Amino acid sequence: MIVEKTAPAEDASQVIHANFGGTVGDLTVAEPRMTARNVNVHYADKHAIIDVSLDIGRHEVVALIGPSGCGKSTFLRCLNRMNDTIDSCRVSGEIMLDGQDIYDKKLDVVPLRARVGMVFQKPNPFPKSIYDNVAYGPRIHGLAEDQSALDEMVEDSLRRAGLWDEVKDRLQQPGTGLSGGQQQRLCIARTIAVSPEVILMDEPCSALDPIATAKIEELIDELRQNFTIVIVTHSMQQAARVSQRTGYFHLGRLIEVGKTDEIFTNPQHKLTEDYITGRFG
Amino acid sequence: MNEMTEGHTVKRFDEEMIFLHRLVLEIGGLAQDQLKRATQTLNDKDPSAAREVISRDQELNALDVQADEELINLIIKRQPMARDLREIITISKAVSDLERVGDEVRKIAQLTIHVYDTDGSPPNKQILRDINTMALFVGEMLEMSLTAFDELDAARALEVIRLDSELEEEYRSALRRLTTFVMEDSRTIGHMVDVVLGLRALERIGGHAKNIAGYVIFLITGSDVRHESLERIEAQII
Repeated sequence: MIVEKTAPAEDASQVIHANFGGTVGDLTVAEPRMTARNVNVHYADKHAIIDVSLDIGRHEVVALIGPSGCGKSTFLRCLNRMNDTIDSCRVSGEIMLDGQDIYDKKLDVVPLRARVGMVFQKPNPFPKSIYDNVAYGPRIHGLAEDQSALDEMVEDSLRRAGLWDEVKDRLQQPGTGLSGGQQQRLCIARTIAVSPEVILMDEPCSALDPIATAKIEELIDELRQNFTIVIVTHSMQQAARVSQRTGYFHLGRLIEVGKTDEIFTNPQHKLTEDYITGRFG
Repeated sequence: MNEMTEGHTVKRFDEEMIFLHRLVLEIGGLAQDQLKRATQTLNDKDPSAAREVISRDQELNALDVQADEELINLIIKRQPMARDLREIITISKAVSDLERVGDEVRKIAQLTIHVYDTDGSPPNKQILRDINTMALFVGEMLEMSLTAFDELDAARALEVIRLDSELEEEYRSALRRLTTFVMEDSRTIGHMVDVVLGLRALERIGGHAKNIAGYVIFLITGSDVRHESLERIEAQII
């Protein structure tokens, strides 16, 4: 039997793109650590990020939220050129770190990724000892003058990551032997061991239980004193708890950005409202 | 009820919000009815009916407790955000104000008992006249604030806030008139305190209606207008 197809209803995404009038809210901050302007990302034919501009302030936690596939992780990965590793990926626009263009062809990405560190969704400690996991960065970047300086860096990083007391007696044991939450804090210790300016976190708690999540969130709050943090999270409660500003992504666009308490009590854009109240769909 | 254009992905969440919305209207309706009945007991010189009004306040208290339980359960289960969060806060506060309206209504009923269930001479009708006038006025304010909540009508909520200034003026005038009565006829002084307490209770009911109107504006606009001037509130709504 031949069934005649009726014309599809107008695609909701086309309507959103057609009506998009620019990001709602103030994209800028007084003292930005990073600035992104008109960032576009293509994966082959797919336009994954569309004209996104956003400042990341010093010592602030910026949360990026949005439904799966909205581009929040892709945008996060632009901030330390992690997308460079994907052949089909093209990034255009401007991203500056302390006034320096991070997409400058002369710029070496290895020190960039030390300055803008990253913590991933799944804890990914190296198959090495706890000590070596943390010492890895300072060693390859030549940050420690001698062994005692390196020991100090490892201890300091583990302390800052809230892990020292739990691992100080077993530093030579494999990092992979720790619990999930401990592994994630080890990865954070590894990231901060090279004194980054910015830490990018891509759903850092999605594989953790509530207690381990609470420890990471507590840690994020402490790390803010010294670092700038951008976190992608699916948990709106987590975004509300840990961040000072929140950006809502939808279909590759930054729909709205603003102070976190305002975004979660009185968002200005209907898409943001629909998403955070669970009306999206 | 003016609901949002799209429901929650979790349909049960919609049902719970609608239930709470209707619970506010139910509590509000009961509070309004109590006010009418209490005022009627005064007109009917019926202390027995006044005691019934006082006893019926338990129903309001029970609904207040029920609303709190439902709100706590919803917060635990749904962790409302944005508009939902504002509505939950509005409901919580409005219910609390309506429960207090019930407490104030008891004072009107108490007035009937004091005035007509004692051996002393009943008061001159004139000194009770302002109770009736103000009861009608605050009854209207209460009705408008509940309609504003039900229909998410910021203009109507603003009107309630505006009326509260008129009510304050009415209250002060009533006190002045009472003073004049007492000066003219010192025998009325025995009922003076009761009537003043009754007027004060009605003035407070008007205040609760104004509070509810303020929460409605918060629900609609996200702005907390409780301590703002009328002009500033108007500017926010427009």
